[in-house]
This record gives sequence, C-alpha cells and structure tokens, in this order.
Amino acid sequence: MFSQLLVNGVTVGSIYGLTALGFAIIYRTARFFHFAHGAVYAVGAYVAYSVVLHWGWSPLVAFFLAGITAACVGVGIEVLVYDPLRRQKAPTLVFLIASFGVFVVVQNLLQLIYGAQILTIRTGPVKEGRHVLGAVITDMQVLILAASSVIGIGAWLLVQQTRLGKATRAVADDRLGASAVGINPERIIMLAFGIGSALAGVAGMLVAYETNIEPTMGMNAILKGMIASIIGGIGSIPGAMIGGLFLGIGENIGIWKISAGWKDAIAFAILIVFLLVRPSGIMGVKVRGEWL
Amino acid sequence: MEYFLHILVITGIYMILTLSLNLVLGYTGLANLGHAAFSCVGAYASSLLALNYGVPPWIGLLVGACTAAVLGVVVAAPSLRMKGDYLALATFGLGVIVYSVAKNWVGLTRGPMGLPGIPGFSLFGLQLSAVWSYLLLVTLFVALTFFVIRRVVTSPFGRILRGIREDETAALAMGKNVNRYKIIVFVVGAFFAGIAGSLYAHYITFIDPSSFTLMESITILLMVVFGGMGSLAGSFVGASVLVILPELLRFLGMPSSVAAPLRQMIYGLLLVILMLARPQGILGKYRWQ
Repeated sequence: MFSQLLVNGVTVGSIYGLTALGFAIIYRTARFFHFAHGAVYAVGAYVAYSVVLHWGWSPLVAFFLAGITAACVGVGIEVLVYDPLRRQKAPTLVFLIASFGVFVVVQNLLQLIYGAQILTIRTGPVKEGRHVLGAVITDMQVLILAASSVIGIGAWLLVQQTRLGKATRAVADDRLGASAVGINPERIIMLAFGIGSALAGVAGMLVAYETNIEPTMGMNAILKGMIASIIGGIGSIPGAMIGGLFLGIGENIGIWKISAGWKDAIAFAILIVFLLVRPSGIMGVKVRGEWL
Repeated sequence: MEYFLHILVITGIYMILTLSLNLVLGYTGLANLGHAAFSCVGAYASSLLALNYGVPPWIGLLVGACTAAVLGVVVAAPSLRMKGDYLALATFGLGVIVYSVAKNWVGLTRGPMGLPGIPGFSLFGLQLSAVWSYLLLVTLFVALTFFVIRRVVTSPFGRILRGIREDETAALAMGKNVNRYKIIVFVVGAFFAGIAGSLYAHYITFIDPSSFTLMESITILLMVVFGGMGSLAGSFVGASVLVILPELLRFLGMPSSVAAPLRQMIYGLLLVILMLARPQGILGKYRWQ
C-alpha cells in the first residue's frame, strides 16, 4: 500500500515539480506571481488533445507542439500585458490583478473553443501496469517520471552551466546591475517566460495523458505549482522539483489517512505550515542576504 | 416588479462585498483574490446553524461573520509575514479550497446538492418573506457597511492604511506596526463578506457551492477595480453596473454554454485593460508615481 502511494505521489509530484519549475524560472527574473501560468498549462493539455485526437498525429509531436504553443502564449502575455506594465513601473498589486485577469481570459477562451465538458485523450482499453516492489506502475507513469527528470536536470544545467543561464541569474540578482554589464533584462525576462511556459505546456500535456482535461484544470495546477515552488524554496530550480515531489507524496499520504476530497485542503495546510515554520522553503535562494 | 426588486437586493449584497473588498484592496493595497470564500463560509455557517440547531438568522449572521473573520486571521497572519504576492496566493488558494470543501464534505454541507429550505429572517415573531422587506434589510446593512468603512478610511487609522499602500517602508519607519494594521483590515473585510454571504443565504433560502466559485471572487474584484480602488462611491457604481449589465444582456438570448464563459472572458479582459490603461477605475484616485 505504502509503496503504491509513493509511486502515485512521485508521479503527481513530478508534474507539480515541472509546473513549479516553470513558475520558478519566471519568478526569478520577473519577480511577481504569474497566475496565468496555470492557464498556459491548460493550453498545453488542449493542444495535445487536438494534435492527437483531431489530427491523429503521434504523442511525440503533441509533446513538442504543446511546449511550443505554450511558450508562444507565455511570451505573448509578457509582451502584451506585463512589459507595458513594467514600463509604467506598476506596483506588484497591479501585476497580480492583471495576471489574474489573463488567467480568466485564457481559461474561458479554452472553454468557448472546447466546451466545459471533461475530455480524455486515452483511447482503447486501460493496460495493466507492471508490478514492482508491491506497487503497480503504468507505462505512462514511467514516461512521466523519465520526461520530468530529464527536463528538470536539463533546466538546472541550462541555468547553472550556460552563458544564458548566467545572464538569467544576473537579472534575478540585480536587474540594474545586469543591464550595466550589457545584458538586456527585457530579453532575458521574455526568454524566461518562453522557457517557463514551455515547461508548463509540457506538464499539461503529460497530465492530459495521465488523467482527464477540462478548462478549469489550470486553477488547481497553478495552485499546486506555486505551493510546490514555495515549499521547495521560491526561485530555486532544484527546490521546485523537490517541492513538487514533497507535495505529491504528502498529498497521497493525506488521501490515504484522511479522504480524497481533502487533497487540496491538505496541500493548502502544508503551505500554511511552511509559511509559519520555514517561509524560505527547503532550498530557498538568498539574494544579497535576503530571501528571494 | 418583483424581479426588479430582486435585482436591487442582489445589488445591495454585492455592494457590501465590494465595499469590504475595497477597504482591503483599494485602501490598503492587499491583494485579496478570494473574497467569495469568506462569504461562502459566512453563508454556510449561518445556514447550517439555522437548519441543524434552529439558531435564529440574526445570531447566525453574526456567528457566520465571525467565522469568516477567524478564517481571515488564519490565512492572513502567516502569509502577511511575507511579500504581498504570498497573500494573493493564499487567498487564491483559499478560494479554491473553500469551494472544494463545500463540494466534498457531503456529510456536513450536502455537497453539490446544496442546502435547501434555509429559514428567512424574522422580526418580532413576524417572518420576513416579501422581497421588499429584504430590500429594506439589505439597504440597512449596506448603510451600516458604508458608515463603518467610511469611518475607518477617513480616520487617522485610514490615513495609515493609505500610507501602507503607498509606501510600506515609510509607514514602518514612522513606527507603525504595519502587519497589525494589515491583519485588522483583512479581518474587517472578511467579517463583512461573511455578513453578505449570510444575507444571501437567508434571502435566497438555498445555497450550493456553485454560488461561491473563483468566478465570484473575480466578479467582486472587478467591481472594485472598475468603480475605482480607494473610492467608496466607486464601489457603489461598480457593483450596480456589473450586476445590472449582465441582467440586460440576458435578454439577448444567447445559449448559456456560450454566455457564461463569454461573460467571464469579458470580465477578465476588462481587468487586464483597466490595469493597463486606467488602474484607478472610473472614480478612484489610486495612482502610483
């Protein structure tokens, strides 16, 4: 029983981790909570649905198209909404409200196009998974784990090892200082939106295969992604993945001990506990002596 | 005529919600994205007390409002220790969670089936049932909310709130316990939202979780932003316009599967456009340097 919960928790957690990772990459540079990230995630799921069921292409195409479309949507939001606000030097409150508004617009656009009903990509009979150490693991779960670990490590390498990653860290540390040494912060922020949104789109696509899709799926996803990112340490790349796994496993143990209906409430309780006890999260990032 | 009065009652309830959110969002600059959650708690608390224990709605209203206020402390106190974004996340989360608890805790709330047959208010043994009597009652509560909140924002206390909104560091430097002010304001906002929820429940006599979705919070948020953050007159305008306009659009006869998401999309779009072009709304003065 416990190993099964662990498997389920890690699978869900790695998807939370991917969403949190995208959120963290954006938060590091843009420095506000990008609520519309959840809607971008839903866009990824619906693109996968269209690609596979309407056009009959392979899941691999769906994987890339979901990422690319989500990246375009994310960059579009940045260019059309956030960048003008940044030029006006708007306070955070204005960013938050605008982001919330964008979230509602995209979510309802999806509902207008695809309808409010629950859709599913999976066709044919459900295959029984493999038995490993007393737990049942489906092929899809293995795929999700593999994909999210590769993407997670890739994102970490991108930020830690490349010149581009160095530039994003510079912008995260000190926007003015970065522009003084010839980095264009606007471009870095836009890139962060592209990469972060692509991750959300991919996470949405993977979820579409694992469970069902509906227009409001982004609401839960962004909530879990943000909570995962905070308990992992906001702005930290490995922290986002660890936070996601922690949240996924914690939720599944909670379901086992309490009841499935309380899943979201458990996640929220975990957040409140972390805010009280360790607000910097498991692997918080410090920028000049202050938690990011 | 009945229908017209009904719309006025609903407008009044939204006015209470808008005024209280304006105190939190417009005057103090705290991002509360889940105001409907507090009215949900108020509505359920007072309805369940009335249905299960026969508690009169007057007391239920007070208990419901206090329950909402307590929930406000639980959410605001931990998240206000952090930057403003955390409060936005916590209230957003609260909106999602309160809805899911109302839907899933079937043993208590009857879940999606809702609570039917909630008793109405009674006065001196006389059951209030006519719509006009509720219009009077709600008007009374709108007036009460208005006077309390106007008293708060025009007092020295309110000046400190605006100070916090404009420059938190400066307010701290003046020796003000910024966090305490924020928590008080947040709790007052939650309290009035609880009152509004309870009024709604006893007026309609039926509640279910779908009346308190995230979309409700967005509607209230838009009413505040549209009317003007930091303008009490704006709250009246915002609530009136955004209750009456969709009612007029109802006569266009669109199928509800299109009308509902379209309306919500327009609301979201309005929020974004207002933030970009006129963040102070139509009557507000809120403008940053």
